[in-house]
Amino acid sequence: MRARAVSLATLASLSVLAVGWQVGAQANASMQALSAPQAAPATIPAPSAGPATPTPAASAPAVSGPATTSAGSTTTVPTAAAPAPAAPAPAAPAPAARPTGTFTGSSVQTRFGPVQVSVTIANGTITEVTALQLTNDGGRSVAISAQAAPILRSEVLSAQSAKVSNVSGATYTTRGYLTSLQAALDTAGF
Amino acid sequence: MSLDTRARPHQARPRIHPNYPRRMRLADSLQILAVVSVALVVAVFLADGGAARISTPADAITALGIVTGLVGTDLLLVMMLLAARLPAIDRAFGHDSAMALHQSLGKPALYLILAHAVLLTIGYALVQPAGFFDEVWIMFSSLPDMPLAFLGLGLLIAVVVTSLVIVRHKFRYEVWHLVHLLSYVAVLVAIPHQLSVGTLFREGSLQRYYWLALYAGVAGSIILFRFIVPIVRSLRARLTVVGVDQEARGVVSIRLSGRQLRSLRAKSGQFFIWRFWTPGLWWQAHPFSLSAAPTGSSLRITVRGLGDASSTLPRVPVGTRVSFEGPYGLFTDFARTSPRIVLIAAGIGVAPIRSLLETATFAPGQATVLLRSSTVDDTYLVDELAALCRARGAELRIIAGKRAPGTSSWLPGDAVQARITLATLVPKLREADVYICGPRKWTDEVVRDARSAGLPTRQIHFERFDW
Repeated sequence: MRARAVSLATLASLSVLAVGWQVGAQANASMQALSAPQAAPATIPAPSAGPATPTPAASAPAVSGPATTSAGSTTTVPTAAAPAPAAPAPAAPAPAARPTGTFTGSSVQTRFGPVQVSVTIANGTITEVTALQLTNDGGRSVAISAQAAPILRSEVLSAQSAKVSNVSGATYTTRGYLTSLQAALDTAGF
Repeated sequence: MSLDTRARPHQARPRIHPNYPRRMRLADSLQILAVVSVALVVAVFLADGGAARISTPADAITALGIVTGLVGTDLLLVMMLLAARLPAIDRAFGHDSAMALHQSLGKPALYLILAHAVLLTIGYALVQPAGFFDEVWIMFSSLPDMPLAFLGLGLLIAVVVTSLVIVRHKFRYEVWHLVHLLSYVAVLVAIPHQLSVGTLFREGSLQRYYWLALYAGVAGSIILFRFIVPIVRSLRARLTVVGVDQEARGVVSIRLSGRQLRSLRAKSGQFFIWRFWTPGLWWQAHPFSLSAAPTGSSLRITVRGLGDASSTLPRVPVGTRVSFEGPYGLFTDFARTSPRIVLIAAGIGVAPIRSLLETATFAPGQATVLLRSSTVDDTYLVDELAALCRARGAELRIIAGKRAPGTSSWLPGDAVQARITLATLVPKLREADVYICGPRKWTDEVVRDARSAGLPTRQIHFERFDW
């Protein structure tokens, strides 16, 4: 290779690498910016959203509640809000009541695909966490999330909250999983 | 006598042929493209956040494993392009240099691909956590398309090992060639796992299209220039053997006749890869140089019965159909940079030298032909060379004599003792292009002599014929 070709090739390669690095850094920054506020809006509508609260009086506004709130993006839909016992407890309402039912968290976008979980709560106890969607971008990420999901589930069940430690090697799955779970718990007023 | 050097401005610097800068610009562009293609795959990885995601040692190992795989695969694709007989590559570097580069990339590419496999296994195993071999099994059994990827790796190892020169000489050329074809299979079976296991080339992503376009480009070039163009040219030219002339014991000139041969744009000094369609020969293809300037209807090659194929060639019947790939090579007047020319041949290497002498541009007195042999009897085409030299005003020197044992010179022992070198044999060597054709080791020795005489690379042209 002649000197001119070497210097031109070096220059071109370095600039291509620099552009790649810059794009990567930006994409990563926006990814982090995206995942941070995603947890936040999930908590804001929570107090007002009372679909899970077994209060007959609140049932009318509650219908419009989940549809307009749309905490994450697509879903804050309680799939099985426990029907309230009709007669008693007219004035002993929501806040104190222990949530019961299955609640679906928002779908959280990660670098490796969307993650979404639903949580089943019986009398204020988390009894089940089901992964509805897990990172599926490539065989490797399927394998990772398939491995991480059971670990996260059992940790959540024993901790009874979304505040559990990261599953190493499955950071993105963990982040998405716990964010979606928190959204579901907020919806439940848990 | 004037001391004013301005009076002779032309001699300050030998005039460089205009072809040369043009050819070098093409060569530069191709080399830059190849280097940038490597940078580009790394950049694609970075742009996808590949480096920013690294937070643990396992991440770092995994990222490195991905990058080695990307770069290794890119090099494999460059190698395949170098072997694809791309006209631009042949024009810029010549077949010989392109294949030398192809060869020198083989081992680095294999090492990168091996590093890719090992690093990713370690990176994944650290996360799992699992032992190295457990992880290999996990990858093999649970990740999509991994069995194929392992197959590709195995094939690649086999191809590179058989390509190492020492091993190659133990096999027949055809066996080696057949194993070599497996590299195409190796590259193909590795594609699915790149698209399904990794996340870089995920569906719908821009980089997936870029990657697939690279593969499509390489595959298209191979199909076009290694198969379609040779077949179309062979069918159009309708070459047949019209005469076989005995030149010496075991050496024949084969005269071929066909139509529309001008459209091949073949030049003196180039070679074709020939296939003679007789029952015993059709399955072998062999490179032979033109030994006479091509015309619109005729070509001639001169062949010595060396290998198993060429030993039966002297008996090839008149009328035999001949197919070919080519013409290839930069051992032509197109590569000239200087007004003078020196043609050096040993053995059957005289063939392209003979055709070059016929058509190369030089004024009378500006050309020297050196014919090297151990005895005067094993020189070929000498009568033709002598006649051409007389007609064109070139000097012919036959340098016969055995080499001194244990020395590494292209000249006979007594010449070495008399301190004869290329520079003393040829007047005004520095103003000449030197063309060398002969056995590999001998060629290297002449090239070394030319270099030590101060000749720049651009003035040294050589073709090795024993591959």
